[in-house]
Parts: sequence; C-alpha cells; structure tokens
Amino acid sequence: MAAPRPEIAHWLTATVLLCFGLMLLSEAIVGRAVFRRRTWRAYLFPLLAVVGGIFLWLIAALSTFSTMHLLAHAAWAQAAMIAGGIQLALVRGKLTHAAWSLVTAGALLLTGASFLIHEQNSWLFSRSAFLHHAIGWVLVAGALFPIGEALRPRRAVWTAGFAVTFLVVAVLLYADRDIAPIFGRLGDVGGAAAP
Amino acid sequence: MRGLRAPAVVVALVLGLALTPGGLVLPSVGSAHALLIRATPHVQSSTAIAPSQVALEFSQAVTLVPRSLEVLATDGSLVSRPPTLSRDGRVVRVSLRQIPRGAYTVRWRELSSDGHVGSGVFTFGVAVPAPPPTDAVGASGLTWRDDAARWAAFAALAVLLGPLVLRLVVLRGARLDGRVATAFHAATVAGAFLAVDVGILAFVLRAENALQLSVVDLLYGDLSPFAEETRFGVAFLVTMVGFGAVACLAILAWALDRPVLLWPALGLGILLASGFSLSGHQATEPNSTVATQLADWLHLVAASVWAGGVLALALVVWPLAPALRRTAFLGFSRIAVVLVGVLVLAGAYLAIVRLPDVADLWETSYGRLLLLKIAIVCVALAWGGIHHAFVRPRLERGETPGAGVGRSLLGESAVAMAVLLVAAVLVNGSPPPVETTRTSASGTAALP
Repeated sequence: MAAPRPEIAHWLTATVLLCFGLMLLSEAIVGRAVFRRRTWRAYLFPLLAVVGGIFLWLIAALSTFSTMHLLAHAAWAQAAMIAGGIQLALVRGKLTHAAWSLVTAGALLLTGASFLIHEQNSWLFSRSAFLHHAIGWVLVAGALFPIGEALRPRRAVWTAGFAVTFLVVAVLLYADRDIAPIFGRLGDVGGAAAP
Repeated sequence: MRGLRAPAVVVALVLGLALTPGGLVLPSVGSAHALLIRATPHVQSSTAIAPSQVALEFSQAVTLVPRSLEVLATDGSLVSRPPTLSRDGRVVRVSLRQIPRGAYTVRWRELSSDGHVGSGVFTFGVAVPAPPPTDAVGASGLTWRDDAARWAAFAALAVLLGPLVLRLVVLRGARLDGRVATAFHAATVAGAFLAVDVGILAFVLRAENALQLSVVDLLYGDLSPFAEETRFGVAFLVTMVGFGAVACLAILAWALDRPVLLWPALGLGILLASGFSLSGHQATEPNSTVATQLADWLHLVAASVWAGGVLALALVVWPLAPALRRTAFLGFSRIAVVLVGVLVLAGAYLAIVRLPDVADLWETSYGRLLLLKIAIVCVALAWGGIHHAFVRPRLERGETPGAGVGRSLLGESAVAMAVLLVAAVLVNGSPPPVETTRTSASGTAALP
C-alpha cells in the first residue's frame, strides 16, 4: 500500500487544525451571538472534528510501519470523534451542562499525552523531537481552556485560548520535517548521515 | 436552537475543507523514522533461482546493531553471513550461503537516525510459495491472548449489531424517551469503537507472535508485512476504517437527532462482519468455497444479532423502558426464531464441510471443541425456548413482565457470550485436514 510521507500527513492535519483555529478565533473575536447568527456556522467545528475522525482512521490504516503510529492515530481518531460529537450535541442544545466541556479537555489531554509518549528522544535531539514535545505540551496546556469553560462558562478568553491552541499546533505541524536539524544543528547522534 | 438551515452548505464546506489541504502539501522533504522501502528478494515473494544475497533499503540512513539482518531456513539454521552497510547507510546487505529449495525467514533490526530501533520480519520462497509472515521461523502459534481478543471482537460485533436491530427493526415506530434513545446510541458507538480497538489489539498480538519482540521494541515494530501480505491484515485495515465510519454515523445520528443514519450504520456493520469470514478458515482452508464464506458470514451475523439483542433487552429495555418491554420482547421473539434457524442451518453446513467424517467429532480436538460449542448452544436455545414457551404467552395475554424476566434474559445473554467464547477458540484452532485437489492460497492466515 502506498503511504504518503509522514510529514505530508502532518501537513494535511495542520491544515484542518488551521481551519479549526481560524473558525474558533473568528467566533471569539465577533462573539458567539454574532458568529452563530447563521446557524450552520455553529456546526462547522464539531462536524469537522467528527468527519476528521474518519480521515484519522485512514491515516491509521496507512501507519502500519510501526505499532506506535498505528496506536497513536487510532487514539486521536477516537478522541476527535467523541469530542466533536459532544460539541455537536452542545450546539444543538441536546446537552446543556457546561461540564460537558470536560470531554473536550479529556480529548486534548489524551492527544497531548499521545504526542509525548510517541516521542522517545529529548527536546533537542532533532527538529521532529522538538516539535513532538512542543505539540504535546501545547495540547496539554490547551486542555485548561475547556476546563475553564466548564468552571466559568461563556467567557471569551476560553474560546480564544482554545482557538489559539489549534493555531499554534497547526504552525508546529507545518514546521515538521523529521530529519531536519534543530536550530541549525542536529543532535549528536541524530541524522548523522542525512543527505 | 433551530435545526440545520442548509445542511448541504455545511456538508459542502466540510468536504471542501477536508480536500483543500491537497494543494498545500506539494513541497515535501525528508521522512520520519527509517522505513523499509525495498527488499530484495521482495517481501513474501517466490524466486525460481536461489538468491546470493538479501538487501534491505531504508528510507534514511541506519546504524547496524547486533543481529541487524539474519536469514533463517525452516529448521532455524542461519544461512546468512554478517551484514554490511552501504556507504550512504541506507542499504543493509547479507550474502547467503548456497541455499536449497524451500522457505526462508528474514529478521531485521536497525537503529534509525532518530534513535528508535525498528524491527521486522518477512519470508520468501525459493521455488516454493512464501509462507505468510505469521508462519515465520521463530513465530509462536496462537495463544490464549489471541482467543481472548477474538472473543472480544465477536462480543463487540454483538454489542454493535444487537441493539441496532432491536432499535431499528423491533422498536420501529415506537416512541423512545431520551434516556432509552441515548442508551441505544451509546451501545452502537461503544460497539463500533470496541470493534476497532479489539481489532487493533488482535492484529498487533498476531503480529507480535511472529515478531517476538519486547514491549518497547514492539512499539517500533514494522507491521506492514502482516497488514499488506495476509488476508487477516487486509481485513483488519478495511474493518478498522469501516467501524470508524460506523461510529461516525452513530455519533451524528445521536447528536443531530437523525435516527435514519443508523440504517447505513447497521448495513455497514453487517457488511463488515464479512471481514471475519473472508479471512478465517472458511476462506483459507483448501476446500473453502464462496458458499462456506457466505454461510460463515450468516452464522456470525445471526449469532451476533441474537446475543446482542438479548443483551440489549436485558440491559436497556428492561431497566429503562418498562412500557416497551412487551413490544420489544414479542418483536424480538419473532426475529429470534429466524435468527436461530439461520444459525443452526449455517452452522450445521459448516460442520459437515469441516468434519466430513462423523468420528472427527470425538477423535480430533477441533471436533471435541465443536461438541462443547453445540452443547452450550443447546443450553442457550433451551433458555430461549423457555422464554418463548412461558413468558411470551403471558405477555400476549397482556400481563406485565416482572424483573425476574430481566434477570433471566441477562442469564441467556451470558450463555450466548459463552457460546461466542468457545466459537473464538474454535476459529483460532485448526480443523482436521481435508483431502482435496485444490491447494491453499499462499499468504493467507486465519484472522486472529
């Protein structure tokens, strides 16, 4: 099976996350009432998360070159689908309690933890290692925003922070080139024979 | 909150956003961990003339580690010399002693430039078909872990299909309150995710039997020969994505209040059950036919709907919807008669194909296991028969069923799950060989 290069999969994911981030940021800037004046806008983020889950399953199917990649992508796919489904139900008014935001926080924590476990090298080993650590911790920190939403609902800072989390992760994923050097040099053993 | 004003606009936007990245990813440099991109001889290939060397080309430079590349004959003897590395560090080679006709196993380990140790195994044949990677030298056979994973996969299918049939067919048109509808949706989503996760576990376990790696090394083990060169691997990939789509449909059906989306979820779930039949004994044994695969699929679907349906009656309808007990029980009883008929007929046909000699039933371990399964099925059928004979007439007279019936249903579903457990052990076992002029297709293996 012809699998795309890993960084292409990462850049595809980055583009989807960039769309997420821009959508959420625009909602934070203009306010929920204005943003949702057109009902369909409210559905975009959660629907993309749920449908994006299928995209992640496809990536998982192409990731049999290592057990770790297969497991990580499967975990992300399920996290995206569950969090998207809960968000969709919140938008529809099917769920109303603010505590449901904790599901989104859980999904971000799971995703961040997967990134951190996924990388076994130290921060400065290579650009890939640096990015895996950075993305993992950004996602873990980003989980604070849905937790804030659960505790003190409807504050713009939570929506804005949530949006910025996606934007930062997107930028980091766009920077992904696994054998590239970090800060102009490679780790002592990493990429020794890279072309 | 109003419903979707223009669902078509949203669908178009979602698809558009999903496809847009294609234009942004054209520039590409580098790759991730060192991946095996070419092997000579090719993975799972058969060559007419014995090769003089084995070469593995990786996507980036690697470092040799102890036992980086070994070629083994079927008796476990080493037929390769110490490996060498090309100047650019991307190709590992071993020269071979003169090797006779037969099957050979290649085991490799490499230290990637990112520090991860990748490992893999594959086979090739000289003038004989290459055996599947699961039969590589050093591979262990199936263990109790594989049986447990197979049972969990059957149970997941039951949790997915049973409640869906109960909800869509038996309770069609019935008014379900929020809690009951949510419970049915939750069962569907849980069943789909369970099917995916158990499938991944079963696949990794099966590959690990051949790779023989520690847990840490297994994390970077190359599973692609198992995924791409075996029937169970291909079935695993298709069912993983498929059950993911089923979960997506179930989540959308719940969140958007569109139960109609459960119909394609049910259809897809039933279709995906064929993954077991197309990769198991009924597809890979020498005397397998389209009829055996079809019978196996019907057998599995009927058993899953029956077991899962009874479970949903006991755990969802009885405690959460007392008003629906009568309708659900009577409706499911009618369906159960058909299910049991299909189950018994398909099972009997498959038993005759696999064990044409009646004495095989007690003279082979496969036959004895089949007898055990038949005995437990008889217990389950008798239990269902008691419900049919005693509970059903009371309900038809308009009497209210008590909690005792709920507990009895739970007992019946427990027996049904025990049937699935024995079935899992049976499927992982080997039926006695059947004399035939046909030969088994190479590169096949029963689904773990």
